[in-house]
Amino acid sequence: MVILELQGLRKQFGELVAVDDVDMSIEEGEIRGLIGPNGSGKTTIFNCITGFLHPTGGKVIWKGEDITGKPPHVVAGKGLARTFQLTNLFRDMTALQNVVMACHLHTGVGLVGQYLMTRRTKQRDEEIEEKAITILETMGIGDVKDEIAGALPHGHQEALGVAMALATEPKILLLDEPVTGMNPSETKDMMERITRLRDSGVTILLVEHDMKAVMSTCEQITVMNFGKKICEGDPEGVCSHEEVIEAYLGRS
Amino acid sequence: MRNRKTLATEIVLIVLAIAGVVAPFLLGYYYIDVLTMLFINIILVTSFHLITLTGNWSLAHVALMGAGAYSSALITGSLGWPFWLSLPLSAMAAAVIGLIMSYPLARTKGFAFFIASYAAGEAMVLCWTRFKVPFGGWTGLTNIPPPENIGGIDFSDPTPYYFLTGIVMAVSLWLMYRLGRSRIGATFHAIHSQESLAKSIGINVTRYKMLVFVVAAFFAGVAGVLLVHRMWAVEPNQFRWVPTLYLLVWAVFGGTRTFHGSILGVAALTLVGELLVPLAEWVPMIYGLILILTLLFFPEGLEGIPHRVQSLFRKRRTGGEAPEDLLMEGQD
Amino acid sequence: MEFVAQTILNALITSSFYALVAVGLTLVFGVMKIVNFAHGEFYMIGAYAVWVLFAVNGWPYAAAVVVGIVGVGLLGVVSETLIFRPLRGNLLSGFIASVGLMFILQVAVGRIWGVGKMKPVPAPYPGAVVSVGGVSVDVQRLIVFGGAVALVALLLVFLKRSRMGRAMRASSQDVEAAELQGISVNRAALVAMFLGSAMAGAAGTLMAPIMSVYPYMGGLVVWMAFVIVIVGGQGNIKGAIYAAVMFGFIQTIVTTMWDSTIASLLIAVFMLIFLAVRPQGLLGHAE
Repeated sequence: MVILELQGLRKQFGELVAVDDVDMSIEEGEIRGLIGPNGSGKTTIFNCITGFLHPTGGKVIWKGEDITGKPPHVVAGKGLARTFQLTNLFRDMTALQNVVMACHLHTGVGLVGQYLMTRRTKQRDEEIEEKAITILETMGIGDVKDEIAGALPHGHQEALGVAMALATEPKILLLDEPVTGMNPSETKDMMERITRLRDSGVTILLVEHDMKAVMSTCEQITVMNFGKKICEGDPEGVCSHEEVIEAYLGRS
Repeated sequence: MRNRKTLATEIVLIVLAIAGVVAPFLLGYYYIDVLTMLFINIILVTSFHLITLTGNWSLAHVALMGAGAYSSALITGSLGWPFWLSLPLSAMAAAVIGLIMSYPLARTKGFAFFIASYAAGEAMVLCWTRFKVPFGGWTGLTNIPPPENIGGIDFSDPTPYYFLTGIVMAVSLWLMYRLGRSRIGATFHAIHSQESLAKSIGINVTRYKMLVFVVAAFFAGVAGVLLVHRMWAVEPNQFRWVPTLYLLVWAVFGGTRTFHGSILGVAALTLVGELLVPLAEWVPMIYGLILILTLLFFPEGLEGIPHRVQSLFRKRRTGGEAPEDLLMEGQD
Repeated sequence: MEFVAQTILNALITSSFYALVAVGLTLVFGVMKIVNFAHGEFYMIGAYAVWVLFAVNGWPYAAAVVVGIVGVGLLGVVSETLIFRPLRGNLLSGFIASVGLMFILQVAVGRIWGVGKMKPVPAPYPGAVVSVGGVSVDVQRLIVFGGAVALVALLLVFLKRSRMGRAMRASSQDVEAAELQGISVNRAALVAMFLGSAMAGAAGTLMAPIMSVYPYMGGLVVWMAFVIVIVGGQGNIKGAIYAAVMFGFIQTIVTTMWDSTIASLLIAVFMLIFLAVRPQGLLGHAE
């Protein structure tokens, strides 16, 4: 079942066309890779899907519903979560506090309840904290839960970013370069976790430059260049595609 | 370390409370009045501080205090209703006006917020000056009654009014403090820290910004009510640039990272203000200088002093961060 | 019919004046990302320069105008060096500091020349009222119009043609990229501050014979300028000009029909509604 669909997505900044009539269909349960040279429009697509940018044209369809241009917090509420290229964290809170903040989307406690700190609220808070700890452990950073986020090593910060996205109980996770700056063993670890996440029911859309990681984990890959989709298919097919080779060779 | 801090805080609060209760019996009327004004200003600056939690600095805040003041003037003066009813009603009126303002304001940030809030506040003041009916125009409204007696206590006297103001202040501070420490307060902080991230995890940033503005407006209204029933008169000029300048200096000089920073600021500068009475015409310039000098050389403000003293004594191993700037730049 | 023509003429003059002030403010904001609350005081000091030199000391009006413009420009440069440059990393600090500057200037002028009554400035070309087809305008207002249009046009040419102008435009769009190209952001800021403040001062020198001078005269003028900058798109000079024309017309028409306070009120409400619907302004960029 197609869970996320881009129809003719287009984003222009004045004269510059960052995303040029891109069509894409992602099946539920897929791990889809989105690759391309720098500046090919990948992050712009992410931003259009998640409401950080208004597309100039085209549509974003989520589970059959048109969510084009809806604001980010609404998109998050519908089950799409994302990470950011430059890891975005609440730097002076602890890792646990970061994840707890992300848990509030589905908490069901209204503003008044949060203020009054009733017993019910306290109970919910405890449940949320437990849930947050579980998520941190899933991402392998349970032991640093009380560390200040800004002081964590890079790999842990990336993992925390994913943990926060997970806390919103997403049906799809849009990961923007989750293994950048990681050494091979950290990378392997993260890619395995991502696969396990998919197995637990979360569709994955992954932007990444590390080709080994992408080829080994993704089942389908979409390749972009200069804002256009130039190729789509399984890892072997994409690797041998002429235009793809040219795009990468031409740019390096 | 934590327990020592909490104990120290409690001791300080108790000492202040005792001093507060005893003070009016040791001081003359003039100083009781100064302290009463200080309490009102503490409510004002602390509610202003709430808005800065989301990273915005509002120039409409003094005008919202005026909204509370004018509402109460009209409710108790023209309508003749009792003060005790007018206090919550007028604060609500200020909150409603804050709500209306916050609709466009919450959609702006930084520069635009600053200017738009200034324009909104000034627009209200223009209303009051332009419409002699019912606001009294340039000269404002007079003959506003003091609060009605309760059990023989006459609130037109300075000392009872001092205690009334003190109690309202204590309650207001507690309510605002609790807000800052709640999940909502943590969300404000998150919004200020990384707004995009907050949005991506489902936080409706606009709604939270509106919320803080409305709550702050409510307490600004409370301050306004207390002000107008002390002076028994109200005029538009009380709510324009000069008091706004004072508000900014108190907040900057005291510091906005902690809850108590701006309170320290207003207390310290009220003291300074008393010493400067013979130089009254120079005060705005002096405050302007204090503002600029603080921003340039002393950005953490008063609340940062313990921090600075500590780092003199120990080589601190920080997570690579120097003492952060007073006014953290928002994301985007 | 003449009434309409007269109103349009008045509106054009008002718009040109506001454009002069607002464009200066926009320039400063665009290049330095600083909003200068003391912009109104620069306007005021320009007016005072004319009063002191022309009205009190008998200098020729044109000389007083030149001194006023250059003097205020230099004052802007001093402010940039001492206050805004050290705070450049921190927008909010810059704004707040400019509030402090505003009060310093107001009190300084008030202490030197007294607060009391407003001081009138005689018309440099008195009695000459130009009448064309039933529509009349006094010479000074024509000078305001001409001066404002000329100065704004000069600025636009400067920005488009000169190297420094292009550097300033680059800085306003992307500071890092500009620095990479070898553009000194500090120098661009100095020039921007000089020009922007000088324009405010110029507006003051031109308006002095029409309004009396007093230390707080900058208040309402700068308020309008800010509204214009916001609605025009916060750093976009063309947008500021369009907005200045729009608001100049609104203000003139509403003032003619009711009064200027109502005009300001309506404009404030308009601005707030506009921001609710389109926070980036007329020509600003979204997000």
